Amino acid sequence: MKDAFRHGAAARALAALVIVLLLGAIFNADGAFFKLGTHRDALRQASVYGILACGMTLVIISGGIDLAVGSVLALVAVFVSKMTIWWAWSPWISIPTALAAGAACGLASGLLVVYPRLQPFIATLAMMVFARGMAKTLSGGVKVATAVPQPDGSFEFVDVPSVFRGIDSRVLGDNLSVVTIILAACVAVSWWALANTVWGRNLYAVGGNEQAAYVSGISVVRTKLMAYIASGFFAAVAGICQAAQEQQGDPEAGVGYELTAIAIVVIGGTSLMGGQGSLALTVFGMLTIGYLEKMLSLNAVPEAMRLMLTGAIIVIAVMMQRRRQL
Amino acid sequence: MNWQVWLGTAAVGAIAMGCSGGSSSPEGGSATNNAAPADKIYTIGMSQCNRGEPWRVQMDADIKAAAGEHLNLKVIFKDAQNDTLKQRSQIEEFISQKVDAIIVSPKESQPLTEPIAKAYEAGIPVIVLDRAVMGDKFTCFIGADNVKIGRAAGEWLKTTLGGKGTVVELKGLQTSQPGIDRNKGFREGIAGSEINVAFEADMKWLEPEARKEMESALTRLPKIDAVYAHNDPGAHGAYLAAKAAGRDKEMLFVGIDALPHEGVMYVKNGLLASTFQYPTGGKEAIEVVLKVLKGETVEKTITLGSRVFTKDNVDAGGEALP
Repeated sequence: MKDAFRHGAAARALAALVIVLLLGAIFNADGAFFKLGTHRDALRQASVYGILACGMTLVIISGGIDLAVGSVLALVAVFVSKMTIWWAWSPWISIPTALAAGAACGLASGLLVVYPRLQPFIATLAMMVFARGMAKTLSGGVKVATAVPQPDGSFEFVDVPSVFRGIDSRVLGDNLSVVTIILAACVAVSWWALANTVWGRNLYAVGGNEQAAYVSGISVVRTKLMAYIASGFFAAVAGICQAAQEQQGDPEAGVGYELTAIAIVVIGGTSLMGGQGSLALTVFGMLTIGYLEKMLSLNAVPEAMRLMLTGAIIVIAVMMQRRRQL
Repeated sequence: MNWQVWLGTAAVGAIAMGCSGGSSSPEGGSATNNAAPADKIYTIGMSQCNRGEPWRVQMDADIKAAAGEHLNLKVIFKDAQNDTLKQRSQIEEFISQKVDAIIVSPKESQPLTEPIAKAYEAGIPVIVLDRAVMGDKFTCFIGADNVKIGRAAGEWLKTTLGGKGTVVELKGLQTSQPGIDRNKGFREGIAGSEINVAFEADMKWLEPEARKEMESALTRLPKIDAVYAHNDPGAHGAYLAAKAAGRDKEMLFVGIDALPHEGVMYVKNGLLASTFQYPTGGKEAIEVVLKVLKGETVEKTITLGSRVFTKDNVDAGGEALP
């Protein structure tokens, strides 16, 4: 039953991706779509969204939602930039600290969901507003960049930290971005956790029927908490990647990214009701959204038309998924 | 979860978001100085439409610095967080507080025209910064001309490239007036030359968007002579894309805004070939306030000049544009 669902859903998710790729091949922008660099760039651009979508998949399967990821991304981007650029901390300290900060935000959202039993929508909405405020407070309202403010009001210019350069570089003869490898690692870890661990199975059980999961002895509280912690952690990974690629921590970064992450998960075919879905589907969703953006950008499609086309593709992709419910 | 629940939570959410900023009244710091007891202390209310933008943070900083030089000025800074109605109530608060002068950088013209007129009619001098309001019920409007700045950027590129070349234009949000004007001016500036804008895209003022669009431009165009971005973060994003492709030496990068810690710094470090200042007018606003408080008459409209920063003049503080 579960396998049948998975294969059918995967085939439909693949169909949406194939449609976008076909459109890309037809409107190939003088052959630009067939260049290797285009695909490398498309994957790089989709990486931050994709990393957020990994955590989002886990939370959605557990029957929740995490609206805070875009703001947590900004908070971590500011925090990691402050530590590595302004304070010149070693990345061995700053990166783990930044990841812990993201996980702590996730933990806070999770605690609000499990103890006062706030609706996930409300709890994470509160965290979304709060984390954005923290990002602005921590940054003092400016972008945390390589121009370091001095006590006398002047600026001293420092180098971009090597860890940022490393994350924003490419390997395999310039053919693969490091952020794409980080995305692949995030996908692998969450895929493995979802498919092969007790916690992963519990996520499906809790998302499918919380009462039943509870009476059969599953720790609903711990299962849910860990989903939100994971989502916060992945948002932190995305925040570090964002900061490295921008070479700065922008407190306004990531506005609306949570909606893109949710769209990726839903286009893949994971149900917003919880209890169903997989990381494989999310990967299809990532590629669909990533290639759609790339195709529109390559063809220099005007902004207004892009928004309408993106809306239409989302509807078509989700309609194709809904057929399984008939 | 059914749809009613979703709608309910969404509605509560909207209210929660509305409240999140609504209850905060005087925000930001205030530039106070201990004046001699005999001096009257003048209170100035400053309503900024959105402190989320670095350029507007700079405007507030310029006002604070200029006011700090005068012992008898106290500035109350408020941030409307990009919300027109919030800004309207800030003006109303300033009126009931009976401040001595108001400086306002409006989010929108139409909805703020009336509140500003009410303050003006109540006898409070109102200095409008950057975006104009309608009619004439304000003391002074201070702003810069984006068409002129765009034209200067176009002319600079025309001269620098010798009248021909392939250019990428990364535009600011094309439903915002500065984006429209910086495009219009630029096209006027390069008119009559053999400069060809081979790729143009709306990067919505955002650096990550500019980088994405530039990657597409790099894939499509075998040779690019220059990139004109409507703001410095956009030019920086384009630079990062070109550098990643190993093509940053092939082209010039030109931006607009020239904030001291942003565009000017990029020019100093050789990332951008030039940046054109979009002045905040913060310093000029305080000068006008002082004149008005002394009872002097001021011009109704002050158009600020711009400066160009290039590698050659950046250490000397740029060069004023004609």
